[in-house]
Amino acid sequence: MKIEMKSAVEVRGLQKSYGSHVVLKGLHFHIRTGEIFALLGVNGAGKTTTLECIEGLREYDEGTITVNGTMGIQLQSSSLPAHIKPMEAVRLFAAWNRVTPDRSMLNALGIKEIEKKQYLQLSTGQKRRLHLALALISSPDILFLDEPTAGLDVEGRRSLHSQIRALKAQGKTIVLASHDMAEVETLCDRIAILKEGELAFCGTPSQLTDLVGRQFTIQLKTRQGTKIHKTRDVADTLLSLLAQEKKKGIEVLDIKVDRGTLEEHFMELTGGVKS
Amino acid sequence: MRAFLYGAVLQWKLDIRSKSLLVTCYLVPLIFFALMGGIFTSVMPDMKDTLIPAMIVMGVSMGAFIGLPPSLAETYGSDIKKIYAANGVPLCFGWAAMYLSAFIHLFLMCLIILLTAPMAFDAALPSDLPLFFAALSIYIAVSLSVGSVLGLTIKNQSKLTMAAQLLFLPSIMLSGIMFPIGLLPGPLITAGKIFPAFWGYRLMLDNGFLPQNLWYLSFVFLITVSFCVILLKGLRRPPQRPF
Repeated sequence: MKIEMKSAVEVRGLQKSYGSHVVLKGLHFHIRTGEIFALLGVNGAGKTTTLECIEGLREYDEGTITVNGTMGIQLQSSSLPAHIKPMEAVRLFAAWNRVTPDRSMLNALGIKEIEKKQYLQLSTGQKRRLHLALALISSPDILFLDEPTAGLDVEGRRSLHSQIRALKAQGKTIVLASHDMAEVETLCDRIAILKEGELAFCGTPSQLTDLVGRQFTIQLKTRQGTKIHKTRDVADTLLSLLAQEKKKGIEVLDIKVDRGTLEEHFMELTGGVKS
Repeated sequence: MRAFLYGAVLQWKLDIRSKSLLVTCYLVPLIFFALMGGIFTSVMPDMKDTLIPAMIVMGVSMGAFIGLPPSLAETYGSDIKKIYAANGVPLCFGWAAMYLSAFIHLFLMCLIILLTAPMAFDAALPSDLPLFFAALSIYIAVSLSVGSVLGLTIKNQSKLTMAAQLLFLPSIMLSGIMFPIGLLPGPLITAGKIFPAFWGYRLMLDNGFLPQNLWYLSFVFLITVSFCVILLKGLRRPPQRPF
């Protein structure tokens, strides 16, 4: 028996204009409870406006947004005073939300280690961790992350990914806007792609790959050089290429087969520059 | 209330860490007081009677017009204001905390002047201290509300500095704290009356706590605070995002 999960967020007919410029043209989508959901789009597609409408930070013209649960919002790194110390920010947010900070959460995010530094002295990774801790202060059901790993090095990115996965394991719904397609591919259960204020795609990363069509790149390295072939039928093309080279008496030194990335599919779907 | 008090105390600490407010609320006014206090009382011995209110008007004007507005512009001209909206906190919370913090810093600076001026320059203490503190509190409150309007309306820091100087310099030069007002030409005396410093100085002088010195300050306070509330209501909606 299939059990229908209750949606954490339901967006119906969301419309928003700035003057005569229509930014959102009646968006419909839902975010399932307990999933990691990413909102993607080229510059000006309307993803930040959509997120801010859901978060309640921006008014919208038409449509309904239903949020089932409490929200925690991770803001970008320019949103705290320069001289505030991490634990002061934690206590301030806790006082606003009338809660006691969760020590285990703060320890897991390494906030105690940076408590003596002022905000302007923190590295990008430390700022991201602090903003994540502040978003989690009230133990929200739904967590909104705006470009959570932008500006992080590989280690910082890996660490934050594992923290996001741990939050999902706790049953939290995570909604993120990201620049990093590899991150979206490995982290997210479902993605929504906005194009000119409309929903161009909403589904799993593998559904997106299937929708656009899986394309493979075959590289054959020989003494004469490297030949590159693009194909949807990898087995037949590879066998045919090897047979041709053998017929010509050319020795194949190396073979490399690449699956198309989500980024390539995204570019194909939106026909633009990712943001 | 607990959250507001914590926020106000935190803001007070942040202001101490922020060197710009420390400079404008303590360092420059007190250095000015140390240097000019000696010069004024040597050149014009009569200034011993008015030295304390004169130096206080200078210090409060500097802190309120030059010190407070950049902090407000930093908060309300940037994404910092979003943290209030994201946590369901009224936008005026930040302004109130900064206003209260600056009030306490300026009051402390004035206390330092009040306590050291008699010893350092043989300056006369106000004859009625409770009334003097009432006048001082009113002047600080009015100056901060004027400074708040600057900080909430002008987001560009260089334009803000220019506007603050346009308010600060005439306040000091035309209020009568540097030299007797009678030395100025008539139009400048009239122009000086536009600035709260003119009335604040007179309110703090002995026997100066009078309705004719109080009404204009009350009027400016009501107008500027109302304006700040309107500005903050306008800011409640995040700025339109151009694409």
